[in-house]
Amino acid sequence: MHGATWVEQAFNLACGLLLLTAVGALWRRETSALIPILTVQGGALTAIAVMLAAGHPDGGQAVLVAVVVGLLKVVIIPLLLRRVHRLVRNARETRPLVNVATSLLAAAGLCLLAYAAARPLVAVAESPTARATPVGLSLVLIGFFLAATRHRAISQIVGLLLIDNGIAATAFLATDGVPLIVELGVCADLVLAVLVLQVLTARMVHTFGDGDLDDLRELHD
Amino acid sequence: MNVVAASLSAAGGLAVAGAISAVLFGRSVRAALVGLLTAPAGAAAAVAGAAAAGGVSWSLAAPYLLPLTGVELAVDPLSGWFLLLIGAVTAVTGVYTVGYAGRQGHGPGARPSLVLLPLFAASLMLVPVAASVPTLLVGWELMAVTSLLLVLTEHRHAPAVRDAGIWYAALTQLGFVALLIGLVWLAGTAGGPSFAAIRAGARDVDAATASVVFLLGLIGFAGKAGAVPLHPWLPRAHAESPSHVSALMSAAMVKLGVYGLLRLGFDLLGGGAPWWWLLLAAVGAISALYGITQAAVARDIKRMLAFSTSENVGLILLGVGFAGMYAQAGNSTAAVLALAAALLHAANHGAFKALLFAGAGSVVRATGTRDMDRLGGLVRTMPATTVLFAGGALAAAALPPGNGFVSEWLLLQSLLHPGPDAGPMLTIAAPIAVAVVAATAGIGVATYVKAVGTGFLARPRSDRAATARESPPSMVVAMVLAGLACVALAVVPGLTIPVLSRIAGDLRLAPPGGTVAASTFALRVEAATLWPLWTVVGIVAGTAAVAVAARALGRARRRAPAWDCGGGPLTERMEYTATSFAEPLQRVFDNVLAPERDVDVTHADESRYHVAAIRFHQRIPDRVENRIYRPLVTALRSLGERVRPLANGSVHRYLGYMLVALLAVLVVGVLR
Repeated sequence: MHGATWVEQAFNLACGLLLLTAVGALWRRETSALIPILTVQGGALTAIAVMLAAGHPDGGQAVLVAVVVGLLKVVIIPLLLRRVHRLVRNARETRPLVNVATSLLAAAGLCLLAYAAARPLVAVAESPTARATPVGLSLVLIGFFLAATRHRAISQIVGLLLIDNGIAATAFLATDGVPLIVELGVCADLVLAVLVLQVLTARMVHTFGDGDLDDLRELHD
Repeated sequence: MNVVAASLSAAGGLAVAGAISAVLFGRSVRAALVGLLTAPAGAAAAVAGAAAAGGVSWSLAAPYLLPLTGVELAVDPLSGWFLLLIGAVTAVTGVYTVGYAGRQGHGPGARPSLVLLPLFAASLMLVPVAASVPTLLVGWELMAVTSLLLVLTEHRHAPAVRDAGIWYAALTQLGFVALLIGLVWLAGTAGGPSFAAIRAGARDVDAATASVVFLLGLIGFAGKAGAVPLHPWLPRAHAESPSHVSALMSAAMVKLGVYGLLRLGFDLLGGGAPWWWLLLAAVGAISALYGITQAAVARDIKRMLAFSTSENVGLILLGVGFAGMYAQAGNSTAAVLALAAALLHAANHGAFKALLFAGAGSVVRATGTRDMDRLGGLVRTMPATTVLFAGGALAAAALPPGNGFVSEWLLLQSLLHPGPDAGPMLTIAAPIAVAVVAATAGIGVATYVKAVGTGFLARPRSDRAATARESPPSMVVAMVLAGLACVALAVVPGLTIPVLSRIAGDLRLAPPGGTVAASTFALRVEAATLWPLWTVVGIVAGTAAVAVAARALGRARRRAPAWDCGGGPLTERMEYTATSFAEPLQRVFDNVLAPERDVDVTHADESRYHVAAIRFHQRIPDRVENRIYRPLVTALRSLGERVRPLANGSVHRYLGYMLVALLAVLVVGVLR
């Protein structure tokens, strides 16, 4: 095996960045820190899309998909998140359901599971990029874990975004390019979900004074 | 670009334009615009359907339209027949909407309702031209969703509308899930989602799988057709939705259930086993009998029409079932005849039920009530509606010279000739079916005599009925159009024979190129084609002759007061109401219907032998619903109550469930 070209190295770097930022989101508890982390992750995802588009025989559509993804993940979503953040300044996950150290350990476990579960996918896929599919799956699991164990509404948004980044990464890596219409549909869904959560946060802050989701339990019966 | 492609694109374009114009324009012109765009959309679809039924073929594959599978469209004579039916009903409904939705801007004239109407019509047109499983399912679901929202149009007025919406949503989704599983399973086993691939691969599908697929299809398609026992949505949805929607649903949408069964059973699965068709015929027979007995005792005019839809769909399914059984027994002549009767009855029912629902809508709009006990006397205030409704009732009662008679007569013909070498199953089933058709026709006459007699004739039994005003011209024009379709189908049904035999050939009921079978079919139906026209001529001539003879030979007429038993002038309290007219029938079917009666007698204070007041209250419940669905709903509800602690309101708990489920699936995947 010859040494990896710089494209392959950049590709590996982007995949590594994806995973690292996911773990970072689990590690940092300040909301203000989460937004840059997500922006970086969006950038890494865009980089993967661009690199795949460059190697794609029918590049036009793939480039368009990459542009859409970049626009959404690097510009629009951080913008929306900042608006949420302005509502709840100095928001911190003071008491997550699972503490940070245990969370990081759990993330390691989830990554192992993702790699184990994705083996058949890697085996059937032809493209060399498909070997990175487990990264996407890990992102999904970590995102779920984050959403399930944190109190703040904004953490739920971040968890959702991690899940979506993971799904998008899996789609890019495992398939030979995502059709534009599918990607557009997914993007529209995501923007809608973030908007809904933003409204939810705003109402919660308005009603309860902070964005702690456990306050919602009062609504049950 | 052939005529089918051009007309279908015109229909789609006009429907979309109708929806957009409903969004853009204000309430003063909205209904008129939508109606006048929907009507030509329907007409264009009817042209496409007629061309396709006449043998013009067309297909389109648009892989870019739906992700993963794409959209595939194609027409053949079978889809053409149903497209023609749907297009014609849509055209009538479009014209009707102009006056019915009016300018008031709420109810049927509200923006959402008018946006959805052309979209519903378009989804109806999409279903019969779909040529692959995903396309069919998308069209089917679109049709279900748009019609559900249209049913809910008047949800602010009555809680019954919301109830109807819930029943419709639940049963239509049950049917959709059954179809989804069945058709996807079929596509998976036969080797591809397109109908062409399924047709080619159907031979490799083993009998057990094919049977399960057919049963799942039966749940989905017969449920949409309103067959008993999947019918409880139908009387509710048809009664509570605005009348133009009821007309579209009853005259067009339920027929797509029949279309689906024909497409799945004969075309895709290639005929299957005799018991499939026996089961279908049994479902049809039960629907016909149950539907007409409920219709006979209904007081609500739209509920009556809805149950009559169940009855007519039952007769159609009976015909389809016998077509299948005959085909399996090798009697292709009777098979073709039964299929032709079923298809013709579908068209006839579409024509007269569109007319009747339009008439009922006109009555409800003028009087504000659907209760026939409170109607009466409309013949003087609404003469056009009365005449047209009576014409539709004549057709629906399957009396000559109505068009319903033609197809029911054809059905009887096919049932009466099972052939000498029919197996024991047919020898037993055919006479029973004859009895069912005869009983239905008899009760049907009573039902429609009740509807016209107590609803429109005699004296008004409420103030609203007395002060009713005739509907706007567009509604009358729409009813006249539907009436003309009935007349055409009654007088020259023979024109449809080439199309019907082409469909039978396509569905492999008649041996391809078998000249002998084709000629016997032509001969027998030749007898049936000439008949209706001569029936009409004979009845008209006979009636005229009797009238003329009575004038010329009888005694001179004199005017005298009607006999009133010496009780003073006749009042409307002495008239037959819908309830009292149906009472003898209800007594006959007491064991089947199990009506709930309450008689409250209030005695005078002074003596209990003196009665101060009597209140009589009667309700005829749907027994099938009470026996099958109520226990099911109760069981589901108690299950829901029991698992309630699982959902304690914590978002984290819910997310945790999802995470655990995902992890469990992944772990199982790794370990396996």
